[in-house]
Amino acid sequence: MDIIKLKHITKQYDDGFVALKNINLTIESGKFYSLLGPSGSGKSTILRIIAGFSQPSSGQVFFDGKDITDLDAAKRHINTVFQNYALFPHLNVFENVAFGLKIKKQPMDKIKPAVKEALHMVRLDGYANREISELSGGQQQRVAIARAIVNEPKVLLLDESLSALDKRLRKDMQFELRAIQKKLGITFIFVTHDQEEALSMSDEIFVLNDGMIQQSGSPVAIYDEPVNDFVARFIGDSNILSGRMIKDYEVEFANNKFKCADGGIKPNEKVEVVIRPEDLDIVAPEKGNIVVTAQTQLFLGDHFEIKAVDANENEWLIHSTNGVKLGERVGLFFDPEDIHVMRLNESQEDFDARIEKYEGDENEN
Amino acid sequence: MFLKKKHVAPKATYREVWSKGDIATKLSFFIMGSNALANKQWVKGLALLISEIVFIVWFIFSGISTLGILATLGPIKSKKVVYDAAQGVYITKQPSNSVLILLFGVLAIILCIAMIYLYIVNLRSTRHNYILKRDGEHIPTNVQELKSLLDTRLHATLMVIPLLGILFFTVLPTVFMISMAFTNYDRQHPIAFSWTGFQAFGNVLSGDLAGTFFPVLGWTLIWAVAATATTFFFGVLLAMLIESKGIKYKAFWRTVFVIIWAVPQFVSLLMMAQFLDYQGALNNILMNLHWISSPIHFIDNQASPLVARITVILVNMWIGIPVSMLVSTAIIQNLPEDQIEAAKIDGANAVQIFRSITFPQILFVMAPSLIQQFIGNINNFNVIFLLTGGAPMNSKYNGAGSTDLLVTWLYNLTFGQEQRYNASAVLGILIFIISAVVSLIAYRHTNAYKEG
Repeated sequence: MDIIKLKHITKQYDDGFVALKNINLTIESGKFYSLLGPSGSGKSTILRIIAGFSQPSSGQVFFDGKDITDLDAAKRHINTVFQNYALFPHLNVFENVAFGLKIKKQPMDKIKPAVKEALHMVRLDGYANREISELSGGQQQRVAIARAIVNEPKVLLLDESLSALDKRLRKDMQFELRAIQKKLGITFIFVTHDQEEALSMSDEIFVLNDGMIQQSGSPVAIYDEPVNDFVARFIGDSNILSGRMIKDYEVEFANNKFKCADGGIKPNEKVEVVIRPEDLDIVAPEKGNIVVTAQTQLFLGDHFEIKAVDANENEWLIHSTNGVKLGERVGLFFDPEDIHVMRLNESQEDFDARIEKYEGDENEN
Repeated sequence: MFLKKKHVAPKATYREVWSKGDIATKLSFFIMGSNALANKQWVKGLALLISEIVFIVWFIFSGISTLGILATLGPIKSKKVVYDAAQGVYITKQPSNSVLILLFGVLAIILCIAMIYLYIVNLRSTRHNYILKRDGEHIPTNVQELKSLLDTRLHATLMVIPLLGILFFTVLPTVFMISMAFTNYDRQHPIAFSWTGFQAFGNVLSGDLAGTFFPVLGWTLIWAVAATATTFFFGVLLAMLIESKGIKYKAFWRTVFVIIWAVPQFVSLLMMAQFLDYQGALNNILMNLHWISSPIHFIDNQASPLVARITVILVNMWIGIPVSMLVSTAIIQNLPEDQIEAAKIDGANAVQIFRSITFPQILFVMAPSLIQQFIGNINNFNVIFLLTGGAPMNSKYNGAGSTDLLVTWLYNLTFGQEQRYNASAVLGILIFIISAVVSLIAYRHTNAYKEG
């Protein structure tokens, strides 16, 4: 069921800067969404418009089918967890969580169990009387979530909520957030610039750049089939090479012709080819699709990151569980499915249409 | 970082130094610096030796008599005419000048303490040299000793002048003034006075001044609380108003109020005194508007105590609000905007946000400075003295008016008709005790202190 719909949202600031250009998106209830993009891409602006802290220059926001574009932030069934938690430092944990209920003049015998339940949800039982300054970053984060969910919102917005935590804690909180979302069954919209975070938690991701949605879809779809080189570069590491389509399912790059899994593109059209570094296997030179010379190698714990160049001076990034000798010639092997062909300046709609078309063709065959 | 240094037992006791040391070392216990001289630390040795000689000469020829006379503060208590049999004439004997006797007496005591300190320094240095010699280590030469004063012991060298300054311009006058509280130095005994123990304290706390002291103390505390609270609260409110979204030309408004603050306090207070005068501008304006039929006594001698006190507090707001506005502006600008947004999501309105989010946090940050302001207001001489001069006079009080604070009363007792210097000294001590106790308790209870 659709719960939030943004229609043709544009945001232009007084100084003329355009933060959002014609944003259309649909949020379904009960799912975990991520708005992913670099700083300044407009992801937080979308969040603030949904929350009601700022007004779009044009366009409408719908909630449960009703237009809430001009509705006060307090009257929306939406709550926000702020980047720096925005906890009230002069109040203790209980008072922080109970703040909203107290403002709503709820009786104390209703507030107490509600706060207890919210703290239990974020696994902070027994912390009610602690001062905020006594809590660690992760615990403050959870108090902020408890303060938001105690109001029983239908949608919870999280604004870069994990970016202040260290890496390990961030991993733990990712699992926790996902678990809380599952337990509550409400919609989470998570803003982040960390692609790993978005991929690991979300049901659906919106990738943003320059105030426009570049691509939306499930984490797997976005990772495997980026529509343009921005998405390909932003989501994970990739080798992007320019090439030329020979015909359907055959593409030329790095001075070689390869079989691929893409079609529906005009012959001889200039394209870009994406191959993920973990899809490259290091083999003997004669067995490889391409021969490269390893130049640098970094050990990253669970894998080696190897940089190599081929005969045409193209740089290749390879993730391999085994190291190589520097300066040694090795072969790189990849399957036709590992090659992802992108047309230049193709929008997501065109991309979806093309996929549908040639996959339809395949089905007919 | 601030752990107490653990006491390290010395490598040798003074007993050991005394029994096993050579002659020069033993001699150091009587003649300061002899050990240093024996070790060729000429400058140190000579300095210690000379200071001992000078001290002993001074003590014999002047010190003993100065200290001896301190016990009585001078033998002649009043002007007397006595017959001098030797010359066969009557001569007038002037009373002893007790102020000078007290001053030099205090100075002599300080000199004696300094000498004892030097003697300890001498013993320490002797022990240090003894240990070095016993353990066969190098004893620093004269030049090395001097160089260390500019290197490893530079802090000691640099502290000498400030310490001397504090000793003569702070410690000496303070001890001198405190001593006065235990004498009968007043109008009846203006030149020669004597020790009277706690009699002056008795006068203030239960004697003839008690009827003034307690009411004035009460008003002082009411004034300090009211003056601090009003300036703080309205300062915060004004800052919030100027910082709020609808206000344009924020810098201009802020400057307007800073100008009030920038005018010297005595100028604005004297202007205010003129303005509020019985024949002053305010009364004229009110009369011309036909709001009142006859002028009001705001702060003159015929004013009612209540009107005068309220006026004083209101005028003080005029002077004090800009300062707290400036300070709280800085705090308000640093309050995270998202806290206020978070409160708004929860449905809090502007008043609720101010009451439960903004104001408590400003209070939290400003608590220490509020305590300072409170103490400052207890001793706020300027406002009272320049505005009302204590008026209206109160016939029940001894030398004080209805708006007098302890500190302006103290001024009256010293420079007015009363000339009760001993009572003033007592008041000074009591004001210090009140301020110290209030600030200690209050600082201990502020969160800022706990976190620091």
